[in-house]
Amino acid sequence: MMCILEAKNVYKVYLDQKKTKGRLVLNNVSLKVDEGEFICLIGPSGCGKTTMLNLMAGFETPTRGEILYRGNQIKKPSWERGVVFQEYSLLPWMNVIENVKYGLDGKKLSDKEKDQIAIDCLTMVGLSEFAEQRPNLLSGGMKQRVAIARTLAMDPDIMLMDEPFSSLDEQTRKRLDNEVYDIWLKKQKTVIFVTHSVDEALLLGTRIVMFSQSPGEIIKEWKITIDHSKRDLATSEFTLLKQEILSSLQTCSCADNYTNNSQKIINIEG
Amino acid sequence: MGNQNREDRILSSLLESRDNNEHVIDVPKDRVYILITNIVTFLIGILIVLLIWQGFSVLYNEYIGSSLISFPTPLEAFDRLFELLSGSNMFGLTIYDHVFASLKRWTIGYLISAVIGVLTGLILGYCTRLYSVGIIPVHILQMIPGLAWIPIAMLIFGLGDESAIFIIAMTAMAPIIINVSSGIRKAPPVIMRVANMVGSSRLSIFSNILIPYASLDIINGLRIGLANGWRVLIAAEMVVGVAVGLGFSISQATYVVDYVSAFVCIMVICAIGLFVEKVVFVSIEKYIRRKLGLEGGA
Ligand SMILES: Nc1ncnc2c1ncn2[C@@H]1O[C@H](COP(=O)(O)OP(=O)(O)OP(=O)(O)O)[C@@H](O)[C@H]1O
Ligand SMILES: [Mg+2]
Repeated sequence: MMCILEAKNVYKVYLDQKKTKGRLVLNNVSLKVDEGEFICLIGPSGCGKTTMLNLMAGFETPTRGEILYRGNQIKKPSWERGVVFQEYSLLPWMNVIENVKYGLDGKKLSDKEKDQIAIDCLTMVGLSEFAEQRPNLLSGGMKQRVAIARTLAMDPDIMLMDEPFSSLDEQTRKRLDNEVYDIWLKKQKTVIFVTHSVDEALLLGTRIVMFSQSPGEIIKEWKITIDHSKRDLATSEFTLLKQEILSSLQTCSCADNYTNNSQKIINIEG
Repeated sequence: MGNQNREDRILSSLLESRDNNEHVIDVPKDRVYILITNIVTFLIGILIVLLIWQGFSVLYNEYIGSSLISFPTPLEAFDRLFELLSGSNMFGLTIYDHVFASLKRWTIGYLISAVIGVLTGLILGYCTRLYSVGIIPVHILQMIPGLAWIPIAMLIFGLGDESAIFIIAMTAMAPIIINVSSGIRKAPPVIMRVANMVGSSRLSIFSNILIPYASLDIINGLRIGLANGWRVLIAAEMVVGVAVGLGFSISQATYVVDYVSAFVCIMVICAIGLFVEKVVFVSIEKYIRRKLGLEGGA
């Protein structure tokens, strides 16, 4: 497997608003992402997951350490690393299809080609009939799907998704999870997916990476090699694993306990 | 009251169509109703002003003032207004000449100021580093009262139109720059990240993101600038030695003790200002809001 993204001993310090306090947000994070992986990042709120994605996308630079994309240091954002943001990120004065087309703004394509790509991507998230609507008339879930379609239109190499469905109800979320999984399967993309839901991570991830409470560091990893279609959260394997992840989440406030046995990898064979 | 009635009517039609299991219904837009309400509200406002004016002039003429020169009543002023509108002279010219001269100065001065102000505002708003330094002179400019430009205008342009135009331009500029530049900075960081991620060109960032986000502020700045310009124009015309214009007429009326004409000029000034504000800018703002997707509709 080719390594697509590699974080090497990354530290990130943020200044508070008055610039009188510095806060360590990421503490020596190293992570290697191989092509085709579906990585789920979990960890308590405020532990630096979004920060990690921002660094990987190139919106910000690490205070120390480096992040390599296909061997090159990341200097600025690029369409190759497409982000689906945690917050609302559509342009209110563009209708749905224009918003999706905006993902192609930096590419030299004819308007016709852009239209075609945009429609294809909208169809992929099941919103083709809403192409002409303004985002303010869509529900939260539909908005997030438009944002996903926009990122798909960019045809990125790797998709960085920041809790895309955290504000949705259980039912909708499951449906959209399936959509993301389908896209991953069809397009053979690499996905890094931040979530608070252990179930979501168990159903989607080929690897689950857990961050400690702030300052964020990676305290545990689980590889899940079971085929997605065979995953059933009711089986004992998964309930046990879920128990383990949940209890790790609970105790991860005392991150020190874990620094010694970090990078613990558990394999579950299908 | 009106709204309650309207909702009630809608509910009735909804309940009627309930058997088809409908719970959404098209509501005919009650344009006429809204228009009439707006006009009536506006007229009531005007009426209050006229009443206060009438009340004061009666009070003054009967009890307070010396009986030599009476305080013009609204009725007298309207009489004179119609007289002037039908073409009689005021200080050698018709009222149309005066209005036209003032409007012309205003338009030229304002256009100069709008072009410079919007461009400067866009640049300041976009370059964060430049902003912190560049906004200081603008704030200083903001603090200078319009008429304080008179000596400088006289120095550069002497007596006449150019001085008035210069004064208007200088007074209208600061609010335009301040509003435009602060509007440009309002685009949410996440949207800027999207733009950088998809690789938008600078031109596209301006036209697709920054200007739409700033458009309401831009309009607001232009509006404040316009009002500032109008007010200072009238004052400037009283002093910079022009021989025609509404401000000139007011100062002239003071000299010849023709207070009725002065009041007519004030009325015309208010009417023009109100028209621009209530009709022109309100429609532009409504249009932009709809365009931006801030208000209903698809
Ligand atoms: N731009 C910023 N400036 C200063 N501090 C920041 C900034 N962005 C994030 N932080 C701080 O960094 C820490 C990590 O934030 P981050 O958004 O990465 O958390 P998170 O893991 O994504 O949380 P959540 O699950 O709630 O989204 C928080 O304490 C936050 O206050
Ligand atoms: Mg976050």
